[in-house]
Amino acid sequence: MRNLFAFIYRFRAFLIFVLLEALCIFLIVRYNTYQGAAMFNSANTYVGRVLEFQSGVTDYFRLASVNSTLAQENAVLRQQLMYYRQEADADSTDQLDTTYYAVSDSSKSEPFILHAGRVINNSVRRTNNYLTLAAGSLDGVKPGMGVISPNGAVGRVKTVSRHYATVTSLLHSQMLISAKIKKNNTFGTIKWTGGDYRTALLDYIPLHIKPEIGDTVVTSGYNTVFPEGIMVGTISEVERELDKSFYTIRVKLAVDFAQLSYVYVVENPRRPEQDSLEHEAGILPHE
Amino acid sequence: MNSSLGIRHIVQFVVFVALQILLMDSLVLFGTGFSFIYIAFLLFLPINMNRVLLLFLGFIAGFAVDIFYDTMGIHAAASVLLAYLRPMILNLLTPRDGYDTNDSVNIHVMGWRWFLAYALTLILAHHTAVFLLEIFSLEGLSAAVPKILLSVLFTGVVMVILQLLFFSLKRANR
Repeated sequence: MRNLFAFIYRFRAFLIFVLLEALCIFLIVRYNTYQGAAMFNSANTYVGRVLEFQSGVTDYFRLASVNSTLAQENAVLRQQLMYYRQEADADSTDQLDTTYYAVSDSSKSEPFILHAGRVINNSVRRTNNYLTLAAGSLDGVKPGMGVISPNGAVGRVKTVSRHYATVTSLLHSQMLISAKIKKNNTFGTIKWTGGDYRTALLDYIPLHIKPEIGDTVVTSGYNTVFPEGIMVGTISEVERELDKSFYTIRVKLAVDFAQLSYVYVVENPRRPEQDSLEHEAGILPHE
Repeated sequence: MNSSLGIRHIVQFVVFVALQILLMDSLVLFGTGFSFIYIAFLLFLPINMNRVLLLFLGFIAGFAVDIFYDTMGIHAAASVLLAYLRPMILNLLTPRDGYDTNDSVNIHVMGWRWFLAYALTLILAHHTAVFLLEIFSLEGLSAAVPKILLSVLFTGVVMVILQLLFFSLKRANR
């Protein structure tokens, strides 16, 4: 027995090394996966505070670009508002006949709810990139919600604390987004394979479709994360490889991930219903 | 310079980890060259340090960076590896008469050749571990190699600059 203890004592450094590495590998496998939620991450209150302080300093250097994005977004919103107002003015069907009742499309009746959030931590150059938002469960953010910016789809909320949220960016090696080519509604999957943060791949577009450079790619709305028709990017390269039954399509992303300042977390009020229905029907949720 | 852990090293820990999170995070050369300067804390610890304590310090330093980077365990694993290898590298690089009592990891005391051999070997081990764990497969190996090489160079240069700036000859002799 004493020999055993002596042996352990002699190799204590190596044993502790092995123990710590095993712990690290456990952490990596357990928490670094796409779905896995970690106890310690940048949504942690104290970590969030440090990141908020940092972004409070660095944001001053980006005020000009932040302002111009917000102004642009305002302009687009005003334009849309004007359009709807004009349409409402011109449309007087509900006043024509008091006995006629027009049934509205029920799927349009419940809109998506947007929660604005400031990006306080962001990365674009790693293999797996995350964002941290200064918006948490108190603001209505929940894990699994989609995140969009004025320009397009950004990612998906991973974990949430009271005041902060960690978002898996679209620039994550395991992040998949269901998307479609707007022109002909062919749907595929958007996937980022690393390297340049401005381009991603659009997979599973069958060969009988004729995608062209410049075609718009938007979210499909087949899952409950993103609303339909959120911009993803434009096709920049179409390649047909002989040994594959799908095109290799490169998409230039609409969002400049290096310049993100304000984003919106999308809440789908009908999500629990759709998810539980699909779950009951035995359909696995596709990302 | 004794082998105990002084207030200096605690300050160094805070400063280097803060530097890593606040500044180096956004400083990336050509999208491939990363600088993980927080390992300077581990490299600049006293030479004849308790190996077990060193391992735990490596874990703590890596874990602190992991939390901010959302890379749970990757930096901790690489730092523990570095902490494990450090005494061996120090053994390999022992000067002919062994280490003096007032020897420390200081470019002025130990000389350029010793410092570069010591730092670059350990940085290489650490960065290789980080980038390989990050891709977690051998698929992206070809993309990881230039990342590793450029990053080792980048971190090495920053570390030499840190040495020249803050570890003056005067302080080393004190």
